[in-house]
Amino acid sequence: MKQAESSLLPLEDAREAALFFVVGALCFLAALAALSAKSTYGAARAWTAEVEGEFTVSLSGADASAADTAARLLAGIDGVESARAFSDAEINALLEPNFGQSGLPEDLPVPRLIAVTAEAGVDDLGPRLSTALNAEGYTAAVDSHSEWAGDVRHMLSVSRMVALSIVALLSATAIAVIAFATHAALLARRDIVDVLHIAGARDRFIAGLFQRRFWLLGLRAGTVGALLALASVAVLIALGRSGAERTGLLPQLSLDFPDLAVLVITPVLAGLAARLAAGVTVRRALRSVM
Amino acid sequence: MTQLRPDMFEEAAVRLDGVSLRYDSSEEILSRIDLVLKPGSFSFLTGASGAGKSSLLKLLYLAQKPSRGEVALFGSATSRLSRDQLSALRRRVGVVFQEFRLLGHLTAYENVALPLRVMGRKESQYRRDVEELLTWVGLGERMHKRPETLSGGEQQRVAIARAVVTQPDLLIADEPTGNVDPDMAARLMRLFHELNKRLGTTVVIATHDLGLIRQIDAPVYRIANGMLVQESSNAAPTARRRTDPLKVMP
Repeated sequence: MKQAESSLLPLEDAREAALFFVVGALCFLAALAALSAKSTYGAARAWTAEVEGEFTVSLSGADASAADTAARLLAGIDGVESARAFSDAEINALLEPNFGQSGLPEDLPVPRLIAVTAEAGVDDLGPRLSTALNAEGYTAAVDSHSEWAGDVRHMLSVSRMVALSIVALLSATAIAVIAFATHAALLARRDIVDVLHIAGARDRFIAGLFQRRFWLLGLRAGTVGALLALASVAVLIALGRSGAERTGLLPQLSLDFPDLAVLVITPVLAGLAARLAAGVTVRRALRSVM
Repeated sequence: MTQLRPDMFEEAAVRLDGVSLRYDSSEEILSRIDLVLKPGSFSFLTGASGAGKSSLLKLLYLAQKPSRGEVALFGSATSRLSRDQLSALRRRVGVVFQEFRLLGHLTAYENVALPLRVMGRKESQYRRDVEELLTWVGLGERMHKRPETLSGGEQQRVAIARAVVTQPDLLIADEPTGNVDPDMAARLMRLFHELNKRLGTTVVIATHDLGLIRQIDAPVYRIANGMLVQESSNAAPTARRRTDPLKVMP
């Protein structure tokens, strides 16, 4: 019976099993870091989009009726999508952490609040709201949340940079480890390389043997690492959903198409990195012989 | 299949011009060796252990650069060749190593087929030739065994089959009959002789075996003290004549 041609390199040994573990672990961490970076980026966009275009107007010395009148006034301003005065119940709910469920003292001067939503693309609404209210005799303060949104954007930007730096560092570490392991494998198989070299094998032929070997190793190790990352994310998502009411500000991990693309790309990149490292290492070693 | 070419008679198969070899900062192992072997010649190389036979052979099968001088094979000065051109030149050389250098994870059949795979041949193209060659060297029943399960003599025959399977222009054998019985040694020598006579393969055999040397009337080169000298194949050991390094053009 016809048999398939054997590989000119022997089957994997213990060294490659150890390398498989290391590359798999690095890919796992890199995939997690990449997913975290992406989630952080998504969260930043969601948070800033949520607060940008939202204004909270505080009216001092006004009752519910005056607040409704002011809200109607604001709703008529060009660029305002909606304006709604908070009800007593909503104000009580906001202050409940400070005053408890028994409600507010009757004589406590509490400002009335109006939630204003700007139309998309309107960026100078805050001053116009203040001007309009002041012109009608209201004592009003308009909060555009811009300071808080800026802090959030800055914090998330730093977080993204850290996550991307971790991805880059892990990738560089994986390449260095693979290059080192390839060199060790080459030394361990010097006899095979010598026989092939003397038989007339070109450098690219010999390098190709190691490149195929390490491409497959990187691909398989990367797949295992990515699958472990997928499982970890799934667990984190499940845990996040079970405690959803207390994780409002945390970036929400998800598994949408871009996340799955990250998990698919990770092993391919690991394989390519392994192939590149193997090729460079073997060619460099072969150049040292005639 | 290798054919005799007219230009093979116009250029030396092997030419060493003032070749010296030293490893790192050690003393010279080979010193100013001149040698010309014409295509289709048959030569023996002998000398005491450690005299530099293996080093000289390494120069011939292009595993080692000389420290000084020039090595040319088939008219090509190797110092001027690119790495790919050197690889192409190596494919014209078959080597039988003293320690066999068989790949342990491959079967005898796969070891013999290795040079053909390196040359890019498909198995369908070489399968029958390899099987016939292994059968011819008496390993027809054991061709799918790995080297570790073969005796020393069987491994040596696999190594020889691997060296000749491409019908090389130059065959270099280091103690090729050291582990086989006299009958097989005679058969293998006949194989070398047939390659030499029928295909014009230039053969260089390094050996201590005087009996082997006496089987074929061919020039004998002795290496001693880093120098190469020629002596007659029929001369008794005590009557060997030492000369200065020779430039031999049979």
